[in-house]
Amino acid sequence: MKTWQNLRDHPENWKRYFIREQVIRSTRSFFDSQTFHEVETPILLAHPAAESYLDVFETTLLDRNRKPTKAYLSTSPELALKKLIVAGIGNCYSITKSFRNMETDSFTHNPEFTILEWYRVGATYTSLMEDCKNLLLSINHALGNGDTLTYQGVTFNLAGPWEKITIKEAFAKWANIDFDEFLNEEMARRIAKQKGYTVAKENTWEELYDQIFLNEVEPHLGKSVPTIVYEFPGCLAALSKKKKENPNYAERFEWYIGGLELGDCYTELTNWKEQQDRFDLELIELKRLGKTTYDYDHDFIDALKVGMPDTSGIAVGLDRLIMLYSNTTRIADTLFFSSYELFEK
Amino acid sequence: MSSITTSDFKNGIFITFKDQPHQIVEFQRVNPGKGSAFVRTRLKSLTTGKVQEFTYKSGESVEELPVETQEMQYLYPEGEDYVFMNNQTFDQVTVKGTLLGDFVKFLKPNDTYQVLVHEEEAVGIRLPKKVRLKVTEATDGARGNTVSGATKTVVVETGAVVTVPLFIKEGEMIAIDPETGSYVERA
Repeated sequence: MKTWQNLRDHPENWKRYFIREQVIRSTRSFFDSQTFHEVETPILLAHPAAESYLDVFETTLLDRNRKPTKAYLSTSPELALKKLIVAGIGNCYSITKSFRNMETDSFTHNPEFTILEWYRVGATYTSLMEDCKNLLLSINHALGNGDTLTYQGVTFNLAGPWEKITIKEAFAKWANIDFDEFLNEEMARRIAKQKGYTVAKENTWEELYDQIFLNEVEPHLGKSVPTIVYEFPGCLAALSKKKKENPNYAERFEWYIGGLELGDCYTELTNWKEQQDRFDLELIELKRLGKTTYDYDHDFIDALKVGMPDTSGIAVGLDRLIMLYSNTTRIADTLFFSSYELFEK
Repeated sequence: MSSITTSDFKNGIFITFKDQPHQIVEFQRVNPGKGSAFVRTRLKSLTTGKVQEFTYKSGESVEELPVETQEMQYLYPEGEDYVFMNNQTFDQVTVKGTLLGDFVKFLKPNDTYQVLVHEEEAVGIRLPKKVRLKVTEATDGARGNTVSGATKTVVVETGAVVTVPLFIKEGEMIAIDPETGSYVERA
């Protein structure tokens, strides 16, 4: 049964779907009241960011003579927002559609999804930890829930202290792993094998790390209080800045409530050379994995060359926030027209 | 035994996990922030009936267990287990209630089911697409109001409670989707 048919038969279900408009409205007023600029970023791109872990949707732009040019659907508004920060816009945010191919067969992903990104100029990732808390509280108040939120039978006090744990502490606590040792690839292979995981020659360090994280660490995150897990391994820095005092770790955090991963935050990398090197490595990785390859956005590197002020930014899956507030474990339950329904065979 | 990879995963298949036979109850793609894809499964142990989660690397190999189906008649419950009789050999076998899950509420004595057998042990039932059961208790709420799609709950002959449209009456046969437990149609 299609969702519109279900809604016609069960008018009581409208309420759950209307959480979306309320969350989006209060998110906007949260940032507008702090004089952030809301920015529209392009969805149709000539050059995406270089991200080997994502599969980009490729399409074709035709000019008036039907001469084709490759085009791509945006996987996030990040590069556009950062260019505007270089230009001097100051604090800004965007609520937009993003597209990631192959993200099917999942309760928490829809290949087309709504992303919220915001950037605070002059800030580091610690002040965005506060933003996350204040944003959730502000939406919760607008929904008339007070300071507490019940998700899947667990009541979270959003105003209370949030758990903050580094990746290193989390691996020690739940996986019994000395993370400084694990950073060495040979050691990591040995530890993963000892734990009973399949370790093949072609498995990368990152795969071993992720498999242990997903099996032994992630199930503990955000169980009874919201959890911020921070200081990611330097090799997973993505577009974040490595720690000055220890480049083995990066200023990046993710946050969890009730098993839902809600977002990914960086103290942004501003060094153009380092960013270019990372993108080049990502392109090599894309080829190795046999994924759609493309030329990344060199205009973004040019912007970094001009100089981006110190900034911290975050990407939040807005659909996940909506799942949280509507107390559902399936992203499709928050969408009138989920991709699962549209592409159902 | 045959080797399969995570891309062959289907709900309901049987695999070896930590040297023990398990059934994949549910699986989904997951990916850590900025990481490659993994496959998170919920695995039910055939020895204990306990369900646990395990996340595989995308493309990882596992052993699929051969399972055959045999037609058996359901006889009666025995404690927390359920007794069936093989229609060919007349042997009686016991299936753990934990392996049947929510389906037990639709089991009707003397009806024939496809029982899954692994190494001569009955390990579950191949769920039929629909089960047909008689409504034994229904309140008289029906005035043919099919426009708003209002519903009521009724009890079927096995004792299960099912939500149905208002027009369903006591004594009628209805079809139920055993996977969701929801009403499908008049049968």
